[in-house]
Amino acid sequence: MSYVDAGYAAALGTLFVYAISLVLRRRRWERALRMSEPPVAQDDPPARGESS
Amino acid sequence: MDLKTGSEMSTDTDTDTMATEPTPAPTPSGTPRPLAPSRPRWLNPIGVLGVVGLGFTVWLGLWVTPPDKFQGNLARLLYIHPAIATVALYWVGLVAAGGSLLYLWPRTRSLFWDRLAASAVEVGAVFSALTLVTGSLWGRPVWGVWWTWDARLTSTALLLLLEIGYLALRRVPADLHVRAKRCAVAALLIAVDIPIVHFSVDWWNTLHQGGTFLDPGFKIHASASMSWTFLLGFVAFSLVFVWLLGVRYQVEVLQDAVGQEELEISLAERWSEDGGSAGAVAPRVTPAGHGGSP
Repeated sequence: MSYVDAGYAAALGTLFVYAISLVLRRRRWERALRMSEPPVAQDDPPARGESS
Repeated sequence: MDLKTGSEMSTDTDTDTMATEPTPAPTPSGTPRPLAPSRPRWLNPIGVLGVVGLGFTVWLGLWVTPPDKFQGNLARLLYIHPAIATVALYWVGLVAAGGSLLYLWPRTRSLFWDRLAASAVEVGAVFSALTLVTGSLWGRPVWGVWWTWDARLTSTALLLLLEIGYLALRRVPADLHVRAKRCAVAALLIAVDIPIVHFSVDWWNTLHQGGTFLDPGFKIHASASMSWTFLLGFVAFSLVFVWLLGVRYQVEVLQDAVGQEELEISLAERWSEDGGSAGAVAPRVTPAGHGGSP
C-alpha cells in the first residue's frame, strides 16, 4: 500500500467510522430518552361519576 | 438555526425556542419534560452533498489528475490534507470560539451555544488527528521523517491535546451552566492556539511550507484538473464537517435531556421517600453532567 492510498484510507475510513458512531450514539440516546419517559395513558375512560 | 430543542426548556433563556413545539408532560418536580431534538431537514442533504463531493475528490485525486512534476503521486495527498487541516483549524475554531464567546456574553447566553461549541470541539479533535496522520504520511517520503518537532506540527499536536482536554473537562459532573462556563473558558484557550498554528510558519523557521493562498505573490502553477480537485476537497470536507456537527449537536442535546430525566426521577423518588412535607414542591433542577451511558 502506498503512502497516498494509506492517507486516503485513513482519512475516509476514520470519518466513515466516526459518522456511523455518531448515528448509533444518537439512536441509543433517543431510545434512552423514550424509555425514561413514563407511558402516557391515552383515551382512558373517565371514572364513574366523574364529569369530563 | 432550528437545531434548538426541547431540552433547552429547562433554562430560562431558552424557553422561546420551543414556542412552536407541543408542550410535553411535566416531570415529577414540575419542570417541563424534555423532548427529543427535532432533526433539521437541511442536515441530511448537506451530508449527502458532502459524501458525493468526497467521492468526486477521491476519483479526481487518485485517477484523473496527473502526477506532480516534482512530488509525483505524493502530491495526491495534498487534495485532502490541507482541506482537513482547514476544517480542523478554521471552521472548528470559528464555531468553538464563537459559540463559547456567545455563551459567556450575558445577553446571548444560551446552552445552544455551549452545545454547539462542544460538538465542534469533538468533531475538531477527529479532524486534528487526521491532519496529523495525513501530514505524517506525506512527510515520511517527502521529508524523510514521520514526525519532527517543527513549529507547525507541534502547535497542531498541541491543538489536539487541548481538544482532548476540553472533552475530558466536559465529562466532569456539574450543573449545566457551571459546565458550560468552564468549557467556554477552555474553548477560548483552544482558540489561542489557532493563530499560533496559522502563523507558526511565519514566526519560526519551519520545515513545513509557508503560507500559500494568503501569500500576495501566490500564483497557481497547477493544471485545471488539479486546481479544481483541490478546491472540491475543501468544499466536500467542509460539508461533511457541517453534517457531523449537526448530528453531534443532536447527541449532545439528547445526553443532557436523558441526564435531566434521570435526575428528575431520582429526586422525585428521594422526595417521596422523605415523606414529602405536605404541600412542598420539588425544587427545579438541572442535570449533573451527561448522565450515564444509555
